[in-house]
Amino acid sequence: MDKGYIIKLLENLKDIMMTNKDYLIQLDSVVGDGDLGLTMSDGFLAAYNAVKDTDDNDIGKILYAAGKAMSTAVPSTMGTLMASGFMNAGKVLKGTTEVTLTDIANLFDAYLEGVAARGKAKLGDKTFLDGLAPAVASLKASAKNQDTLEHAASDAAYAAEEGFMHTNQLLAVHGRAATRGEESRKLLDPGAAVAMLMMKAFHKSVR
Amino acid sequence: MKKIINKPENYVKEMLEGLYIAHPDLITYTADDLHCLVTANKREGKVGLATGGGSGHLPLFLGYVGKGMLDGCSVGDVFQSPSAEQMLAVTKAIDSGAGVLYIYGNYNGDIFNFDMAAEMADFEENIQVLSVVAGDDVASAGPSAPGEKSTRRGVAGIFFVFKCAGAAADKMLPLEEVKRIAEKAAANVRTMGVALTPCTVPRVGKPGFSIGEDEMEIGMGIHGEAGIRHGKIEPADQITDEMLDKIITDLPYTAGNEVDVLVNGLGATPLDEQYIVTRRISMYLAEKNIKVHRFYVGEYATAIEMAGISISVLKLDAELKALMEAPACTPFFRQ
Repeated sequence: MDKGYIIKLLENLKDIMMTNKDYLIQLDSVVGDGDLGLTMSDGFLAAYNAVKDTDDNDIGKILYAAGKAMSTAVPSTMGTLMASGFMNAGKVLKGTTEVTLTDIANLFDAYLEGVAARGKAKLGDKTFLDGLAPAVASLKASAKNQDTLEHAASDAAYAAEEGFMHTNQLLAVHGRAATRGEESRKLLDPGAAVAMLMMKAFHKSVR
Repeated sequence: MKKIINKPENYVKEMLEGLYIAHPDLITYTADDLHCLVTANKREGKVGLATGGGSGHLPLFLGYVGKGMLDGCSVGDVFQSPSAEQMLAVTKAIDSGAGVLYIYGNYNGDIFNFDMAAEMADFEENIQVLSVVAGDDVASAGPSAPGEKSTRRGVAGIFFVFKCAGAAADKMLPLEEVKRIAEKAAANVRTMGVALTPCTVPRVGKPGFSIGEDEMEIGMGIHGEAGIRHGKIEPADQITDEMLDKIITDLPYTAGNEVDVLVNGLGATPLDEQYIVTRRISMYLAEKNIKVHRFYVGEYATAIEMAGISISVLKLDAELKALMEAPACTPFFRQ
């Protein structure tokens, strides 16, 4: 798969965030300021638009440019975190023009690392990471077992959803949710919902 | 909402246009973007000092760009961080080979973007960037344990950090030294505020919270973050004493210390009231045998049209005192 696939992935990510704009607004309104649906749809749209007609074949540079466009479009907390994920994935895949399942696993692993490094959050802090990390672990295992791409993506989407559904057992330690203390535990984390949607879009992109 | 504005969505743009018209001798912008404000008097070989943050706090942040203080400021929408790209544009414009120091308030959105901008400056432009994050609001969180990241918000006290670091850079000190001084100033300043009324973000059109007619919120943040005590309004002397009790014991400031004091209006409180508070601060500190080197009174960091006051205290040593006394000339601060 070449850059055409990466652009298709970005398109699917953009579509799913736009379709789920109201769902994210509603999730975020319970704890945050409710703008997550807007920043994610605006941000992923900007990322896709920045590279959809690119002449560049370097997948790393495409991902980096997508991240940069997103950071400019939506410099909110979550917008910057998602942009950091793309930019780190871009750095790791710099010089790559063809990707396999292993590269895709590396892409999402680098995305996860980029977000974690920027936000200085840990697993279990009730954040985006708790949705994406199980998916990345699943992708790595699939790559090791030489699964088909579709099977790997399906498993990853399932793992992300499980991770998201599990966030209502975690105590928030970042952002406004954290000010609620124990009360925060029963809430689902909107950031982890974004991770779940990302993996759903990834699954769709390989079907 | 009752404001002298045109369209709410043009609030920041038109405010910036006015600023550039009023202060062409001091400030201009780069990258064809009004939000990327830089000094009109770049000094070659000097460490560049940049800040940034949301609008709605004038004179913070951009008002301190000028001679003897900051060299650039990226300007966000009301209460929103500017983008890393805008921060990078400012960084490129103010760097003259000696590196750039970022000084900004402790808010996640700003931290993420400044960190990203610093990485981009290094990765794309080969500019050395260091950062100092100011968190002076004693009401926002307890003191952090050694080695732990502070969760205290940055508020008006950042003025002292800008002033000291600006004077240090103006003396052509190297980047590491300017950073050391900024950190030292940040470590020695404490702030506490009190709010009487909420504020309205123009595009939102109504206040995000309410404070009763006869009530106040001690310790409220400059975006309306919850304070530490909500209660009936009290006489100025009592309010002042409550805030100072918190500030003085936090650092702590002790007998024999010398300090600079900033009495800051949050937007809708008249200078008259600020001076009534200043009077009490002077009495309070004299009683504790803490000597005031200089008072700064006025609007230094606002929360749009919030009524209220904050008090910031900077503990001085010979080095910080000399830096505080150095001349500066910016759109909002001259001495």
